[in-house]
Amino acid sequence: MKVSAALPTGVAALLMESARRHRQLEGKLVQRLEERGFSEVILPVVDYLDPYQELLGEASRRELYRFVDRDGEVLALRSDFTPMLARLIVPRLNSLELPLRLFYRGDVLRYQEEHAGRQREFYQLGAEIVGWPGEEAERLCLRQFLELLTIEERRPTLVVMGFAGALDRLLLDRATDDPRQLVTALVRRERRIAGSGPLREVVEAGVPNNPADLGEEAAAKLERVQVLLAEMRRSFPAVELRLDLAEFADQTLAPELRQGREGRTYYDGLVFKAYGGRTAQPVGGGGRYDRLFQRLGTDVTAAGFAISLDRLIARAEGDGEDGEDRRLGDRG
Amino acid sequence: MIRLALPKGRNLTPALAALRAAGLGLDGLERGDRRLQIRFPEDGLEVLLLKDWDLPLYVEYGIADCGIVGTDVLEELDGDLLVPARLLEGRSRMSLIGLHSEMPRPGAQIRLASKYPNIARRVVSTRPWGAEVLKLWGSVELGPLLQLAELALDIVQTGRTLRDNGLIELETVREVAPCLVINRSAYQRHRAELNRWLDGFEKAGVAE
Repeated sequence: MKVSAALPTGVAALLMESARRHRQLEGKLVQRLEERGFSEVILPVVDYLDPYQELLGEASRRELYRFVDRDGEVLALRSDFTPMLARLIVPRLNSLELPLRLFYRGDVLRYQEEHAGRQREFYQLGAEIVGWPGEEAERLCLRQFLELLTIEERRPTLVVMGFAGALDRLLLDRATDDPRQLVTALVRRERRIAGSGPLREVVEAGVPNNPADLGEEAAAKLERVQVLLAEMRRSFPAVELRLDLAEFADQTLAPELRQGREGRTYYDGLVFKAYGGRTAQPVGGGGRYDRLFQRLGTDVTAAGFAISLDRLIARAEGDGEDGEDRRLGDRG
Repeated sequence: MIRLALPKGRNLTPALAALRAAGLGLDGLERGDRRLQIRFPEDGLEVLLLKDWDLPLYVEYGIADCGIVGTDVLEELDGDLLVPARLLEGRSRMSLIGLHSEMPRPGAQIRLASKYPNIARRVVSTRPWGAEVLKLWGSVELGPLLQLAELALDIVQTGRTLRDNGLIELETVREVAPCLVINRSAYQRHRAELNRWLDGFEKAGVAE
């Protein structure tokens, strides 16, 4: 019998040196998390679909690999660690001592249309902080994220920050038949739809010239995020940190702005993404997501992040061309 | 250095015109150029000449930082790219085409030939009739002409091919424009330079 080495679209095997490199980096990240007081959780790769129905955006639902088990239960392959972890924690919260600092690692599977470069299996390592008071959870989460990203400082990293709901007031105030189209336009940075004024400024520069345009609450949050940004710049000089509210325009808190196409819609505070090298997709990201626990019937603060090990390795090893790409850009 | 993917096909001419209007030289690059990878150090650019259908993938994968491609290809492939500007030149339309002047009656089940099966399915989902979508790679007009399908969904520029073959443009379903696409990582890395291009497009009145 002739045996083929072909694998299904979007998945890959790590053999020998690749596997060694993967485990080596994973080991460093895990060691750092354990040193910082995080405990590991090992989660199943298959779960019931039903508990997540209310938590999934349309895009996340389309990505799911789901099937009917032999006993008739509808199951899904793990596509996101965070909701699974939250669901398992909520019934146990009364008996657990807060705050919790947990980390996980493993594959998530997300269906993607068949195109070059689109993976369907991702190996993630992530951490969650549950029950830490207020915005301290955001600070601790971001700090831990940056610490892991810079554990092997070979290539520069750019981290973009924003917060959920930052543009809601601006978007809702703009007279339009369908404000959701504006959300799409901002996410895609379509200048013609952003028009002029503060939305245009956000599309071009990431923040409006006058923060008061965001509304009182969002302007106050922006100020706190700017303080956090300055603190992290001091602590992580090798990382280029910047504010960009357009990048997270679809992380809205207003139901009338939800497009139904979003993926993970549970963030309600600080959000961040890291880019590095030529890899177009983020190396990792995360944020605050109290809302996820609220949807599960519990009032507790939560923040977390996930890092794609494959992309982190690609960044560290230099997936670009030459020295050209070693600078991150023009810092515009 | 920014790596820019340009389409080899009909969108290359408006793309070059817009980029030059924005202040880029791209000296010596014209339609029909057989080179695949060309450096323009004075513009801080490396240009990749690609087929339209491949271009978004190169940008999405990060091989190219940005590119110019039609909204038809972009919508069909449905990638996660920034689309900050649409060029004013090189526009066309995507239309339903048939041999007869009537649209299918409500409840009818037809065959619809297209190079754009995903868009075609979206179009059909808004209609009172149903359609089996047939994916074709070229000469989509032949579908209705040779009765492979009742309708075709394809790009129409002047409409001359349709007229010459006795076909009727029944309805425009999309306006199609070449647009600048940028991957999210590249936008963050080259934001100032790319915003300069975009300002240049606007000042020259070549994009919206």
